[in-house]
Amino acid sequence: MIAPRGTAGLQPPSVRNGHGVHASEHILDEFPMTSTYDVAVIGAGPNGLMAAAYLARAGLNTVVVERRQEIGGGLSTEECLFPGYYTNPHAFYHMMVDYMPVLRDFDLTGHGLYFVKPNAQCGALFSDGSSLLLCNQIEDTKDSIAKFSQADALGFGRIMRTWRKLVAEVVAPGTYVPALSPLDMIERFEATSMGREVLRLSEMSPVEIVEEVFGDDRVRALMLYVACMWGLDPHESGLGFMVPLMIDRAMNKAQCYGGSHKLAGSLSREILRAGGTVIDNAEVVRILVEGGRARGVELFDGRVIEARAVLSSLPPPLTFGRLMDAGEVPGEMAEVAESWDWDKWSFFTVSAVTEVAPHYECDDPWVDDALMVVMGFDSTNDVLAHFAAAINGELPERVGGHATVETRYDPTLARVPGHQVSFFQTHAPYAPEGGWDSQAPELANRLCGLWARHCPSLATQGIVMRSIETPVDIERRVSSMVRGSIKHGDYHPLQMGVFRPHDSCTAGRSPVGGLYLCGASSYPGGLVIGGPGYIAAASVVEDLDGDRWWELPAYVKRYAEQYAT
Amino acid sequence: MPDERYDVVVIGGGHNGSTIAAYLAKCGLSVCVLESRPECGGGQENTEVRPGFRIDPHATYLYGGAAPGFEQLELWKYGMRMVYYSSMAGLATLDGVAANLGGRWRPDLGDEAMRRYSPADLDGPGRVIDQLGEQASRELLRALFWTPPHPVGMEVDPVDMPWWQVFRKYLPHLFFDELTEMSYVDFLDNFVHWDPLKVVAGFGAWYCGAHPDWEGMMLQSLGGTMLYTYASGAPRGGMHTYAHAIIRCAIAHGARVMTNAPVEEIIVTNGRAVGVRLSDEAAFPEKTIWADKAVISGVDVKQTFAKLVGRRHLDPSFLQRIDDISLKGGSLFVMSVICRELPRYHGREEFFPEEVYPSCVIAPADSFDFFREQTRDAYSHRRSPALSPEHLTMMICTHDPYDSTRCPEGYHVLSPIYLEMPPPQYDVSGPEGVNHQKEEITRAALELLGRLAPNMVGENIVDVFVNTPYDSEFRNAGMVGGNWYAIRHSADQWFSNRPLPELSRYRTPVDGLYLCNQTSHPGGLCLMAVPYNLMHILIDDGVAEPGNWWYPSPFYVPDGPSPSGNGRPLVAEGSR
Repeated sequence: MIAPRGTAGLQPPSVRNGHGVHASEHILDEFPMTSTYDVAVIGAGPNGLMAAAYLARAGLNTVVVERRQEIGGGLSTEECLFPGYYTNPHAFYHMMVDYMPVLRDFDLTGHGLYFVKPNAQCGALFSDGSSLLLCNQIEDTKDSIAKFSQADALGFGRIMRTWRKLVAEVVAPGTYVPALSPLDMIERFEATSMGREVLRLSEMSPVEIVEEVFGDDRVRALMLYVACMWGLDPHESGLGFMVPLMIDRAMNKAQCYGGSHKLAGSLSREILRAGGTVIDNAEVVRILVEGGRARGVELFDGRVIEARAVLSSLPPPLTFGRLMDAGEVPGEMAEVAESWDWDKWSFFTVSAVTEVAPHYECDDPWVDDALMVVMGFDSTNDVLAHFAAAINGELPERVGGHATVETRYDPTLARVPGHQVSFFQTHAPYAPEGGWDSQAPELANRLCGLWARHCPSLATQGIVMRSIETPVDIERRVSSMVRGSIKHGDYHPLQMGVFRPHDSCTAGRSPVGGLYLCGASSYPGGLVIGGPGYIAAASVVEDLDGDRWWELPAYVKRYAEQYAT
Repeated sequence: MPDERYDVVVIGGGHNGSTIAAYLAKCGLSVCVLESRPECGGGQENTEVRPGFRIDPHATYLYGGAAPGFEQLELWKYGMRMVYYSSMAGLATLDGVAANLGGRWRPDLGDEAMRRYSPADLDGPGRVIDQLGEQASRELLRALFWTPPHPVGMEVDPVDMPWWQVFRKYLPHLFFDELTEMSYVDFLDNFVHWDPLKVVAGFGAWYCGAHPDWEGMMLQSLGGTMLYTYASGAPRGGMHTYAHAIIRCAIAHGARVMTNAPVEEIIVTNGRAVGVRLSDEAAFPEKTIWADKAVISGVDVKQTFAKLVGRRHLDPSFLQRIDDISLKGGSLFVMSVICRELPRYHGREEFFPEEVYPSCVIAPADSFDFFREQTRDAYSHRRSPALSPEHLTMMICTHDPYDSTRCPEGYHVLSPIYLEMPPPQYDVSGPEGVNHQKEEITRAALELLGRLAPNMVGENIVDVFVNTPYDSEFRNAGMVGGNWYAIRHSADQWFSNRPLPELSRYRTPVDGLYLCNQTSHPGGLCLMAVPYNLMHILIDDGVAEPGNWWYPSPFYVPDGPSPSGNGRPLVAEGSR
């Protein structure tokens, strides 16, 4: 069965407000029923918060409205294991900490935000007790690969020389400037050797790239897994340039100490300090449009916020399909809203509390230190079967996935000293045949079985507490992640680059005057890379004549001069 | 690395810590709040224990509606919004009564119930207090809660205590001298006829602070329930929205708020608190934070002295008195039940339609004896209550009929369901005892719920979450005893006696160290009252200079020449 795509899963807008009464006497002042700002941002996820932080500091009176109780969207750290244990149910680590301009522009690390980037980044456990370990230090990674293949170890060293440059000079900086049109891109990229390599790789599928570079099948299996795990179809060509990025970033993951929510909190602080406003439990039910121009938003409780610019961090089916009347939506955006493809798979996660830190039985004790440990795959075919099942809407015959001990580098997540919080995550369809209700516990047990085979302490010393989150739960927690789409929409060539979400939207501007798009469904995409909000903020500042107080980082400037001007 | 130095360091970003930080930041002071958890708010929390479903592990209603803080801190600017409920209270009994008592905004519902069950109580003096208008209620509540205790040692005739002054002003016909010595039960026995109504009043009082049997606490008990009915509602989305407004106010005024930053020690030099030391795990590079003007402890009085200041700075007699402060009173076994249908108490669906569903149902409310048995189990036998209906009275709350943000459509969340327990420290089966009985108590409480409301069985119950007082101590570092108002609200520990007479003005034997936790007057319930009261003292001590947005309590008596000396607290030997 092919997982249904498009907007079929959308529910009508929720305007249930509850009953209650209007207090007949004045008890206390409340946020006004009508208010006016320069900028209203819909959604306090990473992109909404980033955009708002730049705009508030640019002297624009900015408000961020969030449906949930807690800001952050995917930047959440919550007591999912109640009582007493926090997890990061969405973005647990961040891949672009080395690059995101927002961290430097606001000196967030100077104000209480710390990222732990351990050397042991990504382990893989095979059924015969052998293991692979991708480290931040390239020679450590080569040492581990050499256990399987001397040639692959040397080959890895050589390819990473090119790929690191390719990421640092082209792919990473390209994240923070508007997308190029395909023609411009080909013209510019053909002019440099690095650009030509990007174009060459783009035409290849992840499998082809991994097979071209590596010989040993277990090395290939792990590389393919990390290349595709955040949303690339192993067999699809067109986005091959992301393979070096995903593999390089798989060795540069950083965990936010104290939980991912700290990043959200830091951004919110910047908004507040610049005079902005953040309100939650404030679902937007309508974007107000007048004369073809967005002029504000209406909340579920009837409050109206007027604004010169409205930024939506929601995906097109919500922004254009749900929050606006059909008559107000330009034809091309109506079409995008209608035909938008949600992520090709979602995630299924089992979180667990244990009394002792999980210890993996394998040939390398360093694997215990890895930020993430992949298990369940002995070959490329296993990995391909795993992703194929998720794409086809099936539960896997042979389970596999990745595990993380969240308290390994952040003991503050457990309120009971010494106790450990871990999770095991796998790729999963949103709507498997038979539904999740009956199958979720069974899948969780199978995953825990695999986990315990590699980590006997889980079987013998047991799990104090466990919780399960299905793709449906992801959507229920963060409703913009429709069908569990953590990236607000699939990564495929027609939804990437200038086509994300549509080529009529450039630099975050939509065809509707005063309405900007700043979320993961806009270029360059999701996964807390800090691109869409940053790009949209620049456009809003320009259009509203705010103070453009920030400059592109030097590495982005160099890229822009070479490729984008 | 430069020193981390602020005017004021606040330990704990719970309700009281964040509020005093907001006040002081608004005064222009540099303030740093150190919170051990990943999120501020303390007991003002709404945890999404299951995707889409949020529970109230502690605070649940807006008791603080009369707080000056709302206007002084302008919390509306930071997103403060309310939902006012048509019905705040109901009761159900084992023998088939289910009464909707309505609330401030729909008194007609209560009238209807009285006409049906107890006409004698329809206009009785027991309900007169409900008829106090906005102005009188606010004055009475502010006298009780938003007034700093008088200078240490100052003698006041009971009838001249601030709350009795207001009571006499508005209800002279109801006042007689003995009232000041009464327990709330004495008052109820005099003025309320229907037993279930007494249970609701008495039980409500217990949950709002003072147990109805405690001597001399009649008006405090009544005041606690008035706090509850004053706003008759909750912040939109739950109490954490209120916490967000306070924290955002503090941040907007420049306060620095650090989460994941547990404090290990208050640094005392020459008898003065000069800073704090963070735990090595704190999410901050510099583990010593200096305070030039004050260290304010948002942690309970016991941990403040025994753990953070340390016994080495304090004399044994003082420490013994700290150890002896009674924790009995508000240690809660909190259940949260996710269900598909709201409880239909004895099938009387027509009595509780969803638009006027009582947000808080007290049940079983058959007899005061049930409720006294539970008290005896918790405080006398010091064990979890016997698990039979005659020993359990529950407070069963739900918000989603009035606030759709709490859970998805098609579901309801009963949260919190409170059961009173002994504090873990006093439990004869040991501090962890209650955790060993978690499942057993949960089962018994659900069975009882099923007896009261026959639809609360089988598939209607989707999920259950529990936090015991023992769990709560771990979750909320400052919530000693897992007690939602921290220490007993008895006359021995109220106003000028709270937590100890010499600590009642929020000052401590350690210069520059102030108390700002619910262990100080007037206690818990997220009233912004402890910080408001403390502000008076900080102003007098020259720490804070507020702008013209500030107004003090009309009953505030500054320190100064008085029969008891300069009003400074007794100084523990050896602390200097």
